[in-house]
Amino acid sequence: MSTDVGSGAGPDTTATDAGAGATAGGSPSSSINPASVRAVAKKDFRDSIRSWVFWGLSVFFFTLLVATTGVISYFGEDIAAQGETTEALVAMVNGITRLVIPLIALILGWKAIAGERESGSIKVLLSLPHSRKDVLLGKLIGRAAVLSVSLIVGFVLAALVVVALLGSFDIVDYGGLLVMSIIYGLAYTSIAVAVSSLTRSTTVAGAGMIGIFVLFYILWDTMLVAFMTLMNMGYLPEGETTAQVMLFFNSLDPGMAYQNVLSLVTSVGDLDGQTVMMLENMFGSVPFYLQDWFAFVILLAWIVVPIAIALFRFDRVDL
Amino acid sequence: MPALRVDDLTKSYGQTLALDDLSFEVREGEVFGFLGPNGAGKSTTINVVLDFIRPTAGRVEVLGRNAQAHSRDIRSRTGVLPEGYRTYDRLTARQHLEFAIESKGADDDPEALLERVDLADAIDKKAGGYSKGMAQRLMLAMALVGEPDLLILDEPSTGLDPNGAREMREIVREENARGATVFFSSHSMEQVEAVCDRVGILRNGEMVAVDSVEGLRDSVSGGTTLRITVDRIDDEAVQSVRALSDVSTVTIGSEQPPTITAQVEGSKTAVLTALEDHGVDVRDFSTEEASLEDVFQSYTTGTEVHAR
Repeated sequence: MSTDVGSGAGPDTTATDAGAGATAGGSPSSSINPASVRAVAKKDFRDSIRSWVFWGLSVFFFTLLVATTGVISYFGEDIAAQGETTEALVAMVNGITRLVIPLIALILGWKAIAGERESGSIKVLLSLPHSRKDVLLGKLIGRAAVLSVSLIVGFVLAALVVVALLGSFDIVDYGGLLVMSIIYGLAYTSIAVAVSSLTRSTTVAGAGMIGIFVLFYILWDTMLVAFMTLMNMGYLPEGETTAQVMLFFNSLDPGMAYQNVLSLVTSVGDLDGQTVMMLENMFGSVPFYLQDWFAFVILLAWIVVPIAIALFRFDRVDL
Repeated sequence: MPALRVDDLTKSYGQTLALDDLSFEVREGEVFGFLGPNGAGKSTTINVVLDFIRPTAGRVEVLGRNAQAHSRDIRSRTGVLPEGYRTYDRLTARQHLEFAIESKGADDDPEALLERVDLADAIDKKAGGYSKGMAQRLMLAMALVGEPDLLILDEPSTGLDPNGAREMREIVREENARGATVFFSSHSMEQVEAVCDRVGILRNGEMVAVDSVEGLRDSVSGGTTLRITVDRIDDEAVQSVRALSDVSTVTIGSEQPPTITAQVEGSKTAVLTALEDHGVDVRDFSTEEASLEDVFQSYTTGTEVHAR
């Protein structure tokens, strides 16, 4: 890892510390230039992805939707009878994309910065008048674009098949799933690019991606179970506060937020009346963190916070 | 205003001191050769100039602006051929140049630029298949985008054959004639002496000499070494040679036939005439000038030089 600057100037550099000290914050060098960001994103979109990855992802999303639709139209006569086929499709696809999109985003973003630092190609980028922030944001947009565009291609093509197989089609539900999937993908791309910017070794970055995966797929749930067990065994006070903390913690998981937020745009996943009543009995009202607008805030936070930390830190390191 | 000013620049990595209070200036409009053996700190210096790494102490100004605070402005007026870079495997030469042109807001023609570096044949081939020399030509073409005021070339001859290196020097001359300042690093004196107005020699993170090429030559050698093979040694004749004002040292070799070696600054004929006037028969003579490579060696290996 690299040494940070600023503090590096030391006490014995009385007259000459300006050069080392004036690096950070607000100066033209660390500014963001939209044209620069666009140039980097465009280059990254062209370069980072072998074209088969892009088409492979598009085909994957297409197949996922069509296969799920097939299953529903084959088995789901009851669903069809109730005219809720798109809703069922969205709910089932959401269950799968919740697990798959993070994997794809982490793999796409893994080498975004670390790979360029390791190989030295970042010197080509930064020999040109781009700031490091431009590079990070351009990378985020470039990689997220690969995922988003393949989602769009897959969803739009599959829509035709869905209409043909299911007969009915609710474009708001379907479009809502697409939009939220793009935002969810953006959140994980932000996490991946941020982690990738922390190191100049792709090996370390790869370990970081596995760490993120383990954190959200295994640890998060395990911690909840551990909480619950401790509470049941009487080590934690059983009561409203503990339950609140657990539910709040649970709602912070980006996957959970992705699932919850669907109710904001689709008819899927609304809290049913029973749950609402239970929650109101327990807490007086449905807590804010279980409401769907909060899930949306959580998703946005998972986009903004990781890249913001990376933007701050990446300006201060030696390449 | 100097094109590049480095003031008391220090860069340390933990205990290792890569640059130690380095100071020098590159004047506007000159070609400056930044010379030193591998590991002397050339790339570290250039990396600070480009804000790839941050100084531990000291100050660097490029085109009159602080290298850390105004790096983007500096890089928009600078063409760079970095060291230890890698081209983008899946982009063609044309796409590389389009990216550089867009990034700099310039309006160059990719084809014309590649023509200049002799890479036009490969314009639509992906850089992943390029040889080191081709990648180097591509990077040089990218450095030329937008007619930069300052060219920073880090070991530009790497991977180029002698012909390629000559073409590269030709481009340096053209760019300099256009008005660009050129700062270029090399580990070999041969690469820089033909094009550089001034040369700075870096050793272990310190500048050990900055001078014009002629100045450097003069600083280490007592002029020309004249080696004369004679039929016999005559003391009086040797004395008369020593007495010449242009001659600094005279040594006599004991082999057969004997040789007289003299360091001469002025007329060599005066030495030969002095010998012949004393009846010594000059059978053969040769002259040797200290090569710049010797100068470089003497500075960078720390061996004592016979400076005046």
